[in-house]
Amino acid sequence: MRKEEKAAVEEVKKITALDAAYKILSCLSILLLFGLWYGVSALYPHLFPSPYIAWQRFLTLLEKPIMRVSFPMHIAASLKRVVIALLFAWGLGISFGVMIGWNKKMDAFFGSIFAFIRPIPPIAWIPLITICFGISEFSKVLIVFIGAVMPVVVNTHDGLVKVQKLYLDVGEVFHANKRQMLTEIAIPAAYPSIFAGIRTSTSTAWMVVLAAEMLGANKGVGFLVVRGMEGNDLPLVLVAMITIGLIGALLAIVTSMLERRLCPWDNKK
Amino acid sequence: MGQQKVRLHIENITKKFPLKNDTLSVVDGISLDVYDNEFLVLLGPGHCGKSVLLNILAGLMHPTGGTIELDGKPVTGTDPRIGMVFQKWSLLPWKTVMENTEIGPKFRGVDKKTRREKAQEYIDLVGLRGFENSYPSQLSGGMKQRVGIARAYTNDPEILIMDEPFGALDAQTRYAMEEEIIKIWQKQKRTVVFVTNNIEEAVYLGDRIVLFSARPAKIKKIYTNTLPRPRDMVSKEFLELRTMISDNSDLAL
Repeated sequence: MRKEEKAAVEEVKKITALDAAYKILSCLSILLLFGLWYGVSALYPHLFPSPYIAWQRFLTLLEKPIMRVSFPMHIAASLKRVVIALLFAWGLGISFGVMIGWNKKMDAFFGSIFAFIRPIPPIAWIPLITICFGISEFSKVLIVFIGAVMPVVVNTHDGLVKVQKLYLDVGEVFHANKRQMLTEIAIPAAYPSIFAGIRTSTSTAWMVVLAAEMLGANKGVGFLVVRGMEGNDLPLVLVAMITIGLIGALLAIVTSMLERRLCPWDNKK
Repeated sequence: MGQQKVRLHIENITKKFPLKNDTLSVVDGISLDVYDNEFLVLLGPGHCGKSVLLNILAGLMHPTGGTIELDGKPVTGTDPRIGMVFQKWSLLPWKTVMENTEIGPKFRGVDKKTRREKAQEYIDLVGLRGFENSYPSQLSGGMKQRVGIARAYTNDPEILIMDEPFGALDAQTRYAMEEEIIKIWQKQKRTVVFVTNNIEEAVYLGDRIVLFSARPAKIKKIYTNTLPRPRDMVSKEFLELRTMISDNSDLAL
């Protein structure tokens, strides 16, 4: 017995050691990336700024606003566009997805239009939207919305179409009316799919906002990238890129936290 | 036994599924009476069509021919007087034990206090007090099926249909659940129609055992089982009946 217990303890230790190894590996990859960056910048110092120069640029950016907008406000400007677009995309996308996923006639009617519009990348809408609405805040939000709404509609539609027949049978045997069948059975059954759509839409929105800000914005992280390129200020471009990466990752974490909060029964990690 | 009251009258039920150039006959002219408060077991090899018959009884499928009458009146579609315990894990994963159990009265629009009291009564009866706020994913297979039973009872059906409810459980849990279902049935008498492909289970549970042939399902023989409860699975009489039925059974394909 004792031997077995010892073995069990060893087993637990082994697992924690392995966990630590995974953490070290993920840290290692980031370190390697920095090493690579450092190496390239050391080889071509005139073309490529080193991490240190980028850090210096970051510090001056915090002190000196660009276009009278401070660095945090540039981030806030991008985030604001993303959040507004996402709220509309989720609200309208889920409603529309439920409608075409639940009602076969609606699906037949709207499905073909949607199948035609979906493959058009959001960036391809930029000229059309610029002609219609000019270079306004609204056009930027609209482009982000177009990018974000597609995955929500597709996944919601999919989730509703693929509700297990067993769940619908349960609804029928317990005499659910049509509304209960939808709100108590079909929509909750589709939650995992809907959330997959929400996750994709969040990352898409964050990518598209940068493209939208290249329309000619005067603030936003995407604007910083363009500004850096035009002003031959490569350190600024790098700072903006790293910011984009970090905030994108942060948004993904927030979305999965939201999912865990709203779907407590789904106890996968 | 002859003068018992007939609750469910099944008359010449057939079910055919269309194939490409042909039809597949799954249930072939089944006529059967189900008596008040009896525990009726439908026994047959796997995929013989007994589940199809059960789905027809529950109103989830329409028969190709034949009629079903409950208390002398024809039944078409689902009926609140006929409840069902499903084959697989049919609990709604986004609802807690309590929310799953109260689903029947909730859909009927019974107010929250009344339906929760009722659901609580059956949650207690199946031995799940303390698990009201657990989600199905946190329960074992046996516990999930207990919730399935509590859910069916809470809707207060007169006829309770059970479609191989213990089929996916391990042997130990299965024995425990067979004992449990009889206890619950003795406390809260209902007319039960129970489907299984397990002969031992059939002999342990049934007042009458309807033996089906391989597909298309036809009634081979109806056995009346008067062994006293609780039944002893290794008693001589039990084993005799078991052997008799087993010798007369078709093998599953």
